[in-house]
Amino acid sequence: MNEVRQEETPPSPEELILLLEAVARGQDHKAFAQLFAHFAPRVKSFLRRSGLADGVAEEVTQEVMIAVWRKASYFDPRRAGAATWVFTIARNQRIDRLRRLRSAAGEELPDPSEQPDAPPSGEDIALAAEREEQVRKALATLPAEQAAILKLSFFADKPHAEIARELGIPLGTAKSRVRLALARLRAMLDRDL
Amino acid sequence: MTIRHHPSDESLVRLAAGALGAGPALVVSVHLQGCAVCRDRLARFEAVGGALLEEMSPAALAPDLFGRTLERLDVDPPEPAPRPVANVKRWPALGIELPSAMRGCEIGPWRWLGPGFRWSKVKIEGSPDAKVMLLKGKAGLHLPGHGHTGLEFNQILSGSLSDERGHYFPGDLDEADDEVDHRPVVAGQTDCVCLAAVEGDTRLHGILGRLLRPLVGF
Repeated sequence: MNEVRQEETPPSPEELILLLEAVARGQDHKAFAQLFAHFAPRVKSFLRRSGLADGVAEEVTQEVMIAVWRKASYFDPRRAGAATWVFTIARNQRIDRLRRLRSAAGEELPDPSEQPDAPPSGEDIALAAEREEQVRKALATLPAEQAAILKLSFFADKPHAEIARELGIPLGTAKSRVRLALARLRAMLDRDL
Repeated sequence: MTIRHHPSDESLVRLAAGALGAGPALVVSVHLQGCAVCRDRLARFEAVGGALLEEMSPAALAPDLFGRTLERLDVDPPEPAPRPVANVKRWPALGIELPSAMRGCEIGPWRWLGPGFRWSKVKIEGSPDAKVMLLKGKAGLHLPGHGHTGLEFNQILSGSLSDERGHYFPGDLDEADDEVDHRPVVAGQTDCVCLAAVEGDTRLHGILGRLLRPLVGF
């Protein structure tokens, strides 16, 4: 079995959690194939969008998926949804790759996702799934321009400069719009606390 | 202990996105260790990242990528690199206990910066250019007034500081942007130790900048 079928309907957040748990429990190749079909193309797309060249993005995508396989037992659905967990792995692998490219030594860096977290607080434990749902809703209701600004904040290393360039506005205006978009998001999220 | 000063939403978003430089990211991580409120805010921003990942339009992959990935799954994972030894043991002369978020950093000895004022270089593995340092001031010390071209992050580890904008106690993180020109004072009766970082292209102006620039490139 070394072909992965393109997914027809994307799995729900709950299904993704079950797939990760199956990988954690039984090193389940079939569950992994579904996770790969869902996440690998999106992770690559995310890495491309954050500025990695096609070949590098694909290599890092492979590292991300291998990390998903090896670290599945660290996944804790009380802390984060599946997509959020995979996102943090992709983010860390991207940082790691960029640092390696910069440092000639290329030594192994400690991976933050393997380090024990501080003990979860009350808020941490209860509500991961709820939090994710709330965030999805907030993003969907954010005005288009603010949602776009928020996305650029995630994809660009120098978000203000890139937002200014992409929207054709001065740097100072970009800064205040980021602030505005975040304040709006925060107001939406805090309302539900 | 109530924490009153926190990193901005923008900085937490950048940390969540992996776009905060290594120095500021270290200072914010030390803050997060002691601040449940910010851990919760960071978790929300990471959830935004998860939601954006879900929304990405799938990119085309090399047809054999899955096969090549499968082949590597069951190969024994490489031995993890040995963790750097706890810096607290490596530098007992510092006389302070450092937060565990700083393990993996190489900490230099205290060096003289001025009367009642010491600094120690903090090196982050893999990020030799990060501008981050420990600062220690005696009670009553007036730090030279300074401004900066970019963001400065300052996490109080012990003692307390005050400036025109407020009082900062252990656990507080003061994030000051280019509009802030401040003249911090070590308040209270004890020495103040803090962990400070500026963004990569930030320069400090004022005499503090002139003191630090040749030493740490601030």
